[in-house]
Parts: sequence; C-alpha cells; structure tokens
Amino acid sequence: MTAVLETRNVKRTYQMGKVMVSALRGVSLQIEESEFVAILGPSGSGKSTMLHILGGLDRPDEGEVLIDGISLYALNDNKLADVRLHKVGFVFQFFNLLPRLTALRNVEIPLTLANVSEQESIKKAKEMLELVGLGDRITHRPNELSGGEQQRVAIARALINDPKIVLADEPTGNLDTTTGGEIVRLMQRLNKEEGQTFVVVTHDPSVAENADRILFLKDGLVQGEKRGVGGARH
Amino acid sequence: MRRKHILAMAWQNMKLRRFRTALTTLGVVIGITAIIGLASLGEGFRVTIREQMEQGFELNVLTVMSGGLLTGVPSFFTEDDVQNISKIDGVILATPLIQKSDVKLFNNNKTSTPLVMLAVNFSEFWTIYPNRLAFENGGLPQSTKNDTTVIGYNVEHPTEGESFANPGQNITIQMTLQRFPPRRENFTFNLAGTIAKSGAAGFINFDDTIFVPIDATKKLFNITNSDMIFVRISDPSFSDSVAKKIKDRFGGEGEVRVLVPAAFLEQVESVLSMLQIFLTAIASIALLVAGLGIMNIMTVSVMERTREIGILKAIGARSRTIMAMFLTEATLIGILGGLMGIPLGYAIAQVMGRFLFRFSAEVTPRRSIITGTTTHPLMEVSPILSLEWVIIAIVFAVGVSVLFGWYPARKAAKLDPVKALRYE
Repeated sequence: MTAVLETRNVKRTYQMGKVMVSALRGVSLQIEESEFVAILGPSGSGKSTMLHILGGLDRPDEGEVLIDGISLYALNDNKLADVRLHKVGFVFQFFNLLPRLTALRNVEIPLTLANVSEQESIKKAKEMLELVGLGDRITHRPNELSGGEQQRVAIARALINDPKIVLADEPTGNLDTTTGGEIVRLMQRLNKEEGQTFVVVTHDPSVAENADRILFLKDGLVQGEKRGVGGARH
Repeated sequence: MRRKHILAMAWQNMKLRRFRTALTTLGVVIGITAIIGLASLGEGFRVTIREQMEQGFELNVLTVMSGGLLTGVPSFFTEDDVQNISKIDGVILATPLIQKSDVKLFNNNKTSTPLVMLAVNFSEFWTIYPNRLAFENGGLPQSTKNDTTVIGYNVEHPTEGESFANPGQNITIQMTLQRFPPRRENFTFNLAGTIAKSGAAGFINFDDTIFVPIDATKKLFNITNSDMIFVRISDPSFSDSVAKKIKDRFGGEGEVRVLVPAAFLEQVESVLSMLQIFLTAIASIALLVAGLGIMNIMTVSVMERTREIGILKAIGARSRTIMAMFLTEATLIGILGGLMGIPLGYAIAQVMGRFLFRFSAEVTPRRSIITGTTTHPLMEVSPILSLEWVIIAIVFAVGVSVLFGWYPARKAAKLDPVKALRYE
C-alpha cells in the first residue's frame, strides 16, 4: 500500500487573544490508500486544526503535508484551491450545504468549479446522490431534508470529484445516534466498495472503533494508535 | 469556473435578494437618469439656442461702430470710410446707417408709439439682408425718391389685424431733431412698402423699425456722417480677418468696434457646453452616491455570505472565482441601472424640455435693447440623446459599480476559509 497522505512534524500555533495556543506540536502520520482512519481526541486536542491542515485549508507554521505526493504548502493559494477541488473532499459537522440550492445543485458545485459541462455534471451528481441513497431527494433543498439526509448530500459532494481522500470533521456530531450510525456505515460502505480513503476526526469512541486504524490525538500530539474493528478485515 | 456559471450564480444571488438588489439598482438608475437627463437637455438646449441665434444673427453681416459708448459715437463715419471698407477682400458690400430714436408716426387720427428710425440706402441695405426683408405690401422705394419710407410689421400692425397705413399713402413722421432743448418737427413721407414679419438680427428688430432714405435724413438733421456701417461678407469664415482689417484702417482697437456675430455665437456655444459639462458633473455626484450604496450593500452581503464563501473556498473555489462572483453582481447592477436610467433620463428631459422652459420663458420675458418692447419667446427644447452619451452613461454606470464593488469583492475573496467556516 502507498501513502496518499503524509505529514511530517506539523506544528501550528494560534493566537487567541493575548495567549498563544499550540494546537499542533509536531504531528507526523501516514494514511494509506483505501484506509479508513479515525483520529480520536477530546475537544481542544487540535483535531479540527489537524483536519484543516491535512486538507489544505490552513497552513502549518512548520512541517510538511503531502497529498498524492504533492507538498501542499509549497503551493500558492490558487494551486492549493485546486488541490482541495480535485484531491480532497470535506465533510463537516454542520453539513455546510448552500441553503438555497437543491441537493443536486449542491453536489454539482465542485464539478462546476472544475469546469465540467452541465450535462455531464448533472448526470454525475445524480449518480452520486443515488450512491448515497438519496436518488429520490435530488430536487429538495437542505431545509427540506433531515440532518442525516443533509450529511449524505455533503458526502456526495465530497466524493463527486473523485478525491484521493475524504476528510470528515465530526460527521456524526450533529446527528442522533441512529442517524450517526447510518452515516458511519455509509462511509464504511463507500470505503469498502469504492476503495475510498477516509480520515474521520471525532471525539466519539463508538464512531472511531469501526475504523481500520485509530490515532489518539492529545495536546497537539499523536499519542498512540490501535487497530479498530474495521481493521480486522484487512 | 466558467463565466457563464459565475454569471448565473450572480444573477441567482441578485434574484434571491430582490428587494435589496432593486434598491441598490435604483441608486444607479437615479444617477444615470440625472446624467442623461441633464446631458440630453443641455445638448438640446445648445442646439436650440444655436438655431435661434443663427436665425437671429445674420452671420454674413458685420456691424462697424465707433468705439467707446455702447451704441457708438453718432456721426462718426465718413463716406470715405464706407468706400474703404467695401474694398477689403471678402467684403461684398458696405453701407452706412444712421439711427434716430424718439420718432413718431401719424396717419390721420392714428399715432404710433415712439419708434426707432433707421436711415439707410434702401437698395444697399436690402442687399445686406437679401433673404430677410420681404415685403408684405408695396416694395422698395425708388432710389431717386427722397421722401419715401418703409415700415416694419409691428409698426404697420400695432395690434393683430389692425393696419396703420397702406402703401401709396402719405404719412407724417415726427422727428426729434434736437434733444436738448427738444425740437420736434413733422415731415411728410410717402409709404412705399410694409415689411412682413422679419424678427431681429443682432440688435435691430426689423418689425419695430421705420426705414427712411439716408440722404434725406442727413439733410434734415444737417449732418454728413453716418453712425454705423453694415458690412456684408461673402462667407462667415472671413469674419475675423475682415474685422481685423477694418480695425486696422481706423488705427486699431478702441477706435472702432466690429460686431462679429459668428464670434459671439462661438462664445455662447462655449459657455453653453461648459454649462452642460458642469450640470453633468453635478449629476455624476448622484452616481457616486449610488456607488457608495453598492459598496455598502455589498459589504453587508459579504458579511452575510461569509459562511457560504467559506464553504465554496473549502470545496475548491479560487479567490479569483469568489471575487468574480461579487464583481459580476456589481457589473450587472451597473448595466441594469444604466439600461433603465437612459430611457428614464431621456423621458424626463422630454417632459422638462416641454414644460419647464416654456414656463421660464413666460416668467422671464425678453426685452429688446433698442425698441424697449417686451416679448415672451415661447421656446421649446427638444432634448438630444447622442450615442456618445449612451455609451458614456453605460461605461460610467458599470465603472462606478465595479469601482465601489471592488473593495467588498476583494474582502470576500481574501476571507480565510477556516475562519469563514466558523462564522455564525
């Protein structure tokens, strides 16, 4: 297996008011292709910062991040945006759909940004919504969809440009346990059937335990890892 | 991202915030309406004034007066002066003229108001104004006859329908031969013709004037010189050179004055175009205010859409794309505002041209310098909208919108995606 994502000694310090907060203090990790990795840690452990830096949303103060062999933070902002567009898919806790667009249009946005023709992008977006089980909800707007359905739309959007890796930030954090479980199972199915690489950040051990591998993040450092339930398959 | 999609997204955003978009656009509409209204009205006003002045001022006729007083020193020009002027290149004819005021006409029991009398060489004077002075009745007096007269339209018709005298009749002209102490005498003249309505040229209102032969006048007043010389030139473009040569003959500036209607027309033109530019500049302030409105609304809009911008950036939109989205909105507002403002401004100019100027003409009557009569000129101005101004207006509208939209658009483009995503 080859590493699709690799970090080397990533450090990130924030200024919060007058206090400097070290969110990440030298994180090095490797994610292999088709792996399902959970990063588990209490709130304030630097999980979200970690995920933003992994996905090219935030620049580290030190260290290196490689996606598909590309060193992210040597790139300018435009090239970095292109990496987010083509190599990375994001899934957020609060879904982050555009409220006035239909599910179909929301899923289409990355294709539009990538200059895919309208005809083709509609076709692809429909297929993707069917894949996440929302084939009959494509014309609904976010406020007409349940939380679980909205997160499925967000997952479809994350997958639409066929990314190397999907980064999910507390994807079940805003859902009830049952729905959250469904979302986790959906991601695992996509991981198994489509070979999609996932990195899920969570503070919920029940979400993490289904992963192939669990990394424990605490005080800005990876302080150990273990194989999850999903890891048994490999 | 394709332009088509950016355009579609911008349009969708504008539609979503219809009321706000309408208000923002209204600002631009008002600005462009003001600019187009004033510009087209100014242009129409300028053309109207020019046409009227071209009619009023015979551009081929120069008037030579002695220097000093407003109406010149009386009895200044000798017969030789007239001859010399007529020899200048470009001059077709020069003719002397004597002007006397406080003249009254009597015919049986009819009496005229005090009039201005112009003593002229009839055939020469009618050559100076070849197309102007048509006869209503009668015709030019024979040159040999010294006691004939021609009267203007208003003299013949003091009120509409009334006739003072008929050609062939003898009428009495009372002249003021000496002012201090006043010495008035009556003379009998034969009326040769009455002039059709001719209006004014320069400072002479033909309709209010009585014409008599210059030779007879010289005898009656016991003078040999004339007050003014009227010069007809072959083309208005010779105006300046002929005027200069005339002045040179009399020893330069100050000795004589030459009224050049073409030069005056030019001056009035330049004043009017300055006025037009000035008015348009004031109107542009309205557009600048509209620009501030756009900036204001777009800044609010960027704040409201912070999260949306964060989402778009997170899923791979470039800063340039975000900037293009907002600038496209600003551009659309500019185009919409311009397209609505142009016809609206033109329509308002039409209404104003028809009513406002008519009204102002009625409250500010014109008073003729020489005759002292008051007229109410009914002037209508038809606004003129040139393609130039349409283009200027659109460029202005879009330019101002983009200029003021730039800052908020840039602010949106520069948003940090992580912070934008956290924005509530």
